[in-house]
Amino acid sequence: MKIGIPRALLYSIYLPLWKTFLESLGHQIVMSSHTDKKILDNGVKFCVDDACLPIKIFHGHVMDLAHKTDAVLVPRLVSIHPEEYICPKFIGLPEMIKHSVPGSPSLLVMDYNARSGTEKAYHGMKTLGRELGASEKLIKRALSEARIRQAEHERRMEREKGLNPAHALDGKGMEGIIRLEQGTIGLIGHPYLVYDQFINMDICNKLAARGYGTVFPENIPMADIEAACKRYPKKMFWSYGKRLLGAGLTMMGDRQVDGLILLTSFGCGIDSFVDELLVIANRRKYKLPLTIITLDEHTGQAGFNTRLEAFIDMIEWRRRYDNYIPAHGLAVYTGKGTFR
Amino acid sequence: MTITFPHMGWLYIPVKALFDDLNVPIVVPPPINNKTLEIGTLLAPEMACLPMKINLGNYVQSIENGADTIVLTGSCGPCRFGYYGVVEQEILRDQGYDVDIIILDAPGRDPREFVNRISRITGRSPLFKGLKAFFQASKIIEEMDKLQQVFLRKRPRELAKGETDRIQTRFEKEVMKCKGSREILALIEKYRHKAETIQERPDTTPLRIGLVGEIYTLIEPYVNLNVEKKLGSLGVEVHRGITIRDWVKTHLSLDLKYKKERKEKLDKGAGYLNLCIGGHAWETIASAVHYADMGLDGVIQILPFGCMPEIVAESIIPTISKDLDIPAMTLTVDELTGEAGYQTRLEAFVDLLSRRKEIIYEQA
Ligand code: SF4
Ligand code: SF4
Repeated sequence: MKIGIPRALLYSIYLPLWKTFLESLGHQIVMSSHTDKKILDNGVKFCVDDACLPIKIFHGHVMDLAHKTDAVLVPRLVSIHPEEYICPKFIGLPEMIKHSVPGSPSLLVMDYNARSGTEKAYHGMKTLGRELGASEKLIKRALSEARIRQAEHERRMEREKGLNPAHALDGKGMEGIIRLEQGTIGLIGHPYLVYDQFINMDICNKLAARGYGTVFPENIPMADIEAACKRYPKKMFWSYGKRLLGAGLTMMGDRQVDGLILLTSFGCGIDSFVDELLVIANRRKYKLPLTIITLDEHTGQAGFNTRLEAFIDMIEWRRRYDNYIPAHGLAVYTGKGTFR
Repeated sequence: MTITFPHMGWLYIPVKALFDDLNVPIVVPPPINNKTLEIGTLLAPEMACLPMKINLGNYVQSIENGADTIVLTGSCGPCRFGYYGVVEQEILRDQGYDVDIIILDAPGRDPREFVNRISRITGRSPLFKGLKAFFQASKIIEEMDKLQQVFLRKRPRELAKGETDRIQTRFEKEVMKCKGSREILALIEKYRHKAETIQERPDTTPLRIGLVGEIYTLIEPYVNLNVEKKLGSLGVEVHRGITIRDWVKTHLSLDLKYKKERKEKLDKGAGYLNLCIGGHAWETIASAVHYADMGLDGVIQILPFGCMPEIVAESIIPTISKDLDIPAMTLTVDELTGEAGYQTRLEAFVDLLSRRKEIIYEQA
């Protein structure tokens, strides 16, 4: 069977697992195109208005695959770590797709739920394997092969600083560059914003053009992330919320970056909390240049570039006036309102 | 230690009774008003959910009245509500408010910590007194739920326009003057009697609308712009499954019969959504199906802007509306929602329902 995998949401992190599994079961995988204008427009058109940009774009990717494939894989990532979640919309994603995408393409829903244990997470994949008519033996082999590939991918992400996992998958698109002559910017955001060149207006290359490398949340070791989040009285139960928060705090604390950009989508519930905590921590303690850039379907290149330029100018200005002490941790607070 | 807590509809009534009985000083936040929202909007991140903005406004207004400890319940995801406490505390501290926040998470993992936190709140009351106070508070929740149901039933049928509202307002005023659960229970009883005897117009069969959506928005009239009163005065009988009683029963009680019924109700939505995705989205879907089964004339979903689980529900509702032939409307509220536009949309929807009913009636 020809199975489509949308190049959206967490594919850059989990593709080796999904793809190897399905291929080992004897299916052919077709990836949707890299996000483009058409995918975006389709997503915006058919998804409910109130949803955030990444979810809308996922809709667009499913539509891109609908006619090219026999079925489209829609992962239901309830949880990727015990006692944690990702986001309510990830849990309800298959339902959103089912009720919004026109022409009701056939969907393969694959549950992944590690909430009550990592091993249990694979139940959903086994179930899907059975639905696809594979034997238990084949499923077992496919799964173990898939897990090996996935582990390799995860090791690379943590080890190779500046690695862009999406690039690591197919060698296409932007490559991560950690350190350039001017310095390094910490880019904090969900993988589907940070690693999707179209959605993020090619931010990494734009930073590189001004001489800045980038470091991503996936490059910070999990142990540091966990340690950094300990300062809050309650466990942050969103896996990516935790990653972004801990990575941001670690980057600030180690002072390995010259500034931080918090990349978020308009209407992202998780980021509304994470970014607030980061902004408060930075204002009170670290006082690094920091800006929030909000993306939505109306974000235009021109406005985006101006914002980025202004931020870099500020970093450089601060460097020149090294002993200048800002009144309250000078930062560009641009988090209010949609950025157009 | 002076305790305060966030508002949510009539929640303050049992909470006040509880602390009165325990002799613990509390500050009931001033009724939510535009100032509350203004403070909350200023303090909270723009994309925070509306309930959290109102919470923050409540706290600040209570702190101004002498509160120094905030008590709120929590959860462990997947939705934002479970992390309100932490973010709220950071924001308040950042703004220079020196307050403690006690988060009452479900006892699950660490029962000792839970008991610890409870006893921090209840102070040195003897155990039996504490238990009695909790028992009385849950009784109040039951009774006020019944009172609310009477108001809902009477409003579209009242003979003298506005009488139900007048009685309700008087109740809400008087309840604040009561001290302790005994007085409050007596008052509820008195008003239930008053409400029961509101004169009804002869032979009215009002339109019936089911309200579904995010719990806080459904329960707190300030946020839903008094949707129940508005619909009631348009002659609509409002049905709403999610109440404070319902929330308490689900999260804090061991009532197995209730849990079984709840599960049965949730199963009704199974064809559309069959797992908890956070918040009350599952209830939203199941209730919409339930209301269609009951033969209600329409369903209205209300959610605060950016509400993650309800956005998922929002994308399913059109299908339910089509499959089960029941008109449905989604209303998203935020801090800028205007009274006039909101009223117009409600009126238009009610119009549509009554025209539809006439046509169905003629065809029959
Ligand atoms: S985490 Fe944020 S951006 Fe991602 S799906 Fe949820 S709301 Fe949207
Ligand atoms: S259910 Fe909606 S309003 Fe409640 S915490 Fe979640 S996003 Fe906020």
